[in-house]
Amino acid sequence: MDKMINLQNLSKAFGETKVIRNISFTIEKGEVLSIIGPSGSGKSTMLRIITQLERADDGMLEVDGDTLFRSIDGKAVYDKENERKIGLKTGLVFQSFNLFPHFSVLRNVTEAQKAVLKRGKAEAEDKAMALLRKMGLEDKAKMYPYQLSGGQQQRVSIARALALDPKILFFDEPTSALDPELTREILHVIRGLAEEKMTMAVVTHEMHFAKAISDNAIFMDGGVIVEEGTSLFSDPKEERTRKFIASFENE
Amino acid sequence: MASLIMQMLEGTVTSLRIFFLTLLFSLPLGFVVAKGKMTTIRPIRWITDLYIQIMRGTPLILQLIFFYFAPFYIFGASYDRFTACIVAFVVNYSAYFAEIYRSGLQSIDRGQHEAAKVLGFTKPYTFFHIVLPQVIKKIMPALGNEVITLVKDTALAQTIGVAELFRVAQTASSRQFSTIPIFIAGLFYFVMNYIVSRLFAVAEKKLDYYR
Ligand SMILES: Nc1ncnc2c1ncn2[C@@H]1O[C@H](COP(=O)(O)OP(=O)(O)OP(=O)(O)O)[C@@H](O)[C@H]1O
Ligand SMILES: [Mg+2]
Repeated sequence: MDKMINLQNLSKAFGETKVIRNISFTIEKGEVLSIIGPSGSGKSTMLRIITQLERADDGMLEVDGDTLFRSIDGKAVYDKENERKIGLKTGLVFQSFNLFPHFSVLRNVTEAQKAVLKRGKAEAEDKAMALLRKMGLEDKAKMYPYQLSGGQQQRVSIARALALDPKILFFDEPTSALDPELTREILHVIRGLAEEKMTMAVVTHEMHFAKAISDNAIFMDGGVIVEEGTSLFSDPKEERTRKFIASFENE
Repeated sequence: MASLIMQMLEGTVTSLRIFFLTLLFSLPLGFVVAKGKMTTIRPIRWITDLYIQIMRGTPLILQLIFFYFAPFYIFGASYDRFTACIVAFVVNYSAYFAEIYRSGLQSIDRGQHEAAKVLGFTKPYTFFHIVLPQVIKKIMPALGNEVITLVKDTALAQTIGVAELFRVAQTASSRQFSTIPIFIAGLFYFVMNYIVSRLFAVAEKKLDYYR
């Protein structure tokens, strides 16, 4: 029972296009998994299935010991009872931040605590301020998202996700909308979380970063896992992995 | 003179009643229509679409006449002019408001819904606390235009004999061989719309704290 994520034989198609083909992997508690791969390989779709923004077609998924769906007669059958429970255990940080523009920074971080977890105002605000402080944003609490830089907005969105005490946090290209300097800001934050043993799965194109923080890594292409293990960064076994990694070398 | 002022006041009250009753019913009904136009259930979407096309594609005058006379020809029963007038205005304006709401709803980034879902907000909570406030801000300018048009459109109610301000003014003008009553009516529409546009300006300013 040390697995945070146990995903087996996941498949997903959009219409006729198979986007995920029979993917399996596990994430141990406290582990950081990085997911790399070319555009259209199904990385986002996979995260979106685990965070319940998309439905699986077939396969089995357990999150922290609870089953979200299992395969029955070649179809993913969801366990309705667990959907919400698992949803509360998983957090997702988007590439485009998706902060709520009409809420202040503080309210972005307190709203779900109050409305979803039913925490009191004082408790939610204490929690939010502690997280904002951790993100180096305590002086921005009263501002609105449009007044912040992209890096600051992304840090708010990380605080917003952490405020609900997720068991595992997913990142979908959290730095792709940011310039190199702001990217470093965010990578620094994620690295800090890794040091605290936060369980995370990160889709990223930052190879050096991924190599540095990952306990495990998967390389996806065409909806399948081509190669798994952190050795794929330094010593890729598969030709496709080698080519992909090499394309980042001259950056 | 005193009776003229009394008549014009009564006409003004009638115009204002048309205005407020239309808003009272069509602002919320427009939401229902917008939902109908956005549903995945095809027959409902088609019917809603046809309804909006007809309301936008034909003159309001014609719709007023239709709603006043149709019940008589169909059921052999007639109802009072004022009610017919309100029905026509509400049915017409709901269609216009629906299109405004729809464009507002569609302008909200999908990421807002997804972030709300991942954070565990329920659908109603997401609608009322995340989506709706942003929609209201987005549609304010279009809504303002439509409400200003409504103020002027109330004058069309005279087509089916409702004694609203403009009809009273016209009658008074021809009786007294003077255009002054019509100018007084014009002043009313101007002042009314001045107030409406000020109110919308204030609302837009209030919502200006974020982008
Ligand atoms: N809602 C959808 N409807 C139809 N096709 C979709 C949908 N979402 C994704 N796809 C398709 O599924 C495939 C995988 O998309 P996905 O976003 O998972 O890739 P990705 O690995 O995240 O790529 P990127 O690096 O560009 O973000 C793509 O071919 C994409 O066009
Ligand atoms: Mg993606």
